[in-house]
Amino acid sequence: MFREVDFGEFKLTEYEYFRMKEPAYALLAMPDTGLVGVIGASHLIKVLNLKEVGGMDSYIYLPPITVISKKEIRLPIRIFASDNLLVVYSEFMPPPQAFPTLSRVLLDYFERKGISHVLMASGLAVQNRFELDQLKTYYITTKPEVEKILKDTGAQPFENGFLVGPYALMLKEALRAEMPVTLVMTESFLEFPDPEASAKNLEVLSKVIGITVDVKELIEKAEAIRMRARDTMKAVMPNLTRMRKEYEYSMPLNI
Amino acid sequence: MSTNDEFEKFWQKIREIERKMLESLREEEERVLKELEEVRKALTPSWSYEGYLRPLYTIRDLGDEYVLYIDLPNADQGSVDIKFKDNTILIRAKLKMQHRFSEWSGQGGETVFTEYRDVITLPFNIDPSCVSLRQRKGMIELRIKKPKQH
Repeated sequence: MFREVDFGEFKLTEYEYFRMKEPAYALLAMPDTGLVGVIGASHLIKVLNLKEVGGMDSYIYLPPITVISKKEIRLPIRIFASDNLLVVYSEFMPPPQAFPTLSRVLLDYFERKGISHVLMASGLAVQNRFELDQLKTYYITTKPEVEKILKDTGAQPFENGFLVGPYALMLKEALRAEMPVTLVMTESFLEFPDPEASAKNLEVLSKVIGITVDVKELIEKAEAIRMRARDTMKAVMPNLTRMRKEYEYSMPLNI
Repeated sequence: MSTNDEFEKFWQKIREIERKMLESLREEEERVLKELEEVRKALTPSWSYEGYLRPLYTIRDLGDEYVLYIDLPNADQGSVDIKFKDNTILIRAKLKMQHRFSEWSGQGGETVFTEYRDVITLPFNIDPSCVSLRQRKGMIELRIKKPKQH
């Protein structure tokens, strides 16, 4: 262990010293609609061969969980990094009351590591997902130069609506901290793992970061991923229900 | 007002209080049973040592019908078997190939999974003639019309 720092009720551990090259991006992946963000980040970590450089834990906000990965003991919120990409990845959803603190802790950490742009990818639950072959991707960004890149990918701006969950908190906190942030969302199932939506998100995000990501394996192995992610999805659903995720189906009265 | 009338009025109030209390208790009982059912579901693993996986599913109430979506990735679509009995649906589908728990984790012994299996309960008896089924990309959609009096 290289360094351990307390951020309020969260403990952040780095296993080794690392620096980010500019421009540095951070991708946040937490369980949400269709596990889209988590599935995409897991694939990204694999194809880019990102190194696990640290982790986060909280004895107050997280259940007593440890992850055993390749015979190593790891923290429930895992941090992977390459030269200019930091991925914060968790398959466990903290309780909603932890989100505000976690968001501020992560933004503080990103600032210290020299991150210039926070990226997030999730699903946008649609009721007719069963019928859809072509999935639409939407974005929210606070960085104008990124908007042009996103438009070129065919993604559409998310004009009006509600967002519920960890990414919604992160958007608000990033705005307050004046940290550029982009959220990309592809139409997906709410309650079933959706690797196809993850693949679509990665195609868009890779253009923003300026890297090439092969998503062919994600699409070919979609059924195997759906099978493997069942328990995680099952564990996440009660939390999504408690957070009132159904608000995302509504339209605001006042636009 | 006569004494009888006053007693009658008094007993009416008592009966009304009793009715409201019973209603409140019934609602609380329903709420507790619902929470216990959620806890039971959450604690029930999605697999069984007997060699089957429980599929993820969701139920939507559309007013005049229920729509069930059942996720059956890697299932042999030709082997999907759905039976109805009273208010329950029994789902079985063989996997295209066997899987061992140890493929996904370092533990699990020699449990080999060969099929999906689960029983879903609805709040009314199902008429199989009022059910339509579609399969798509490893997923099943069941549309079940509610009986008229429900």
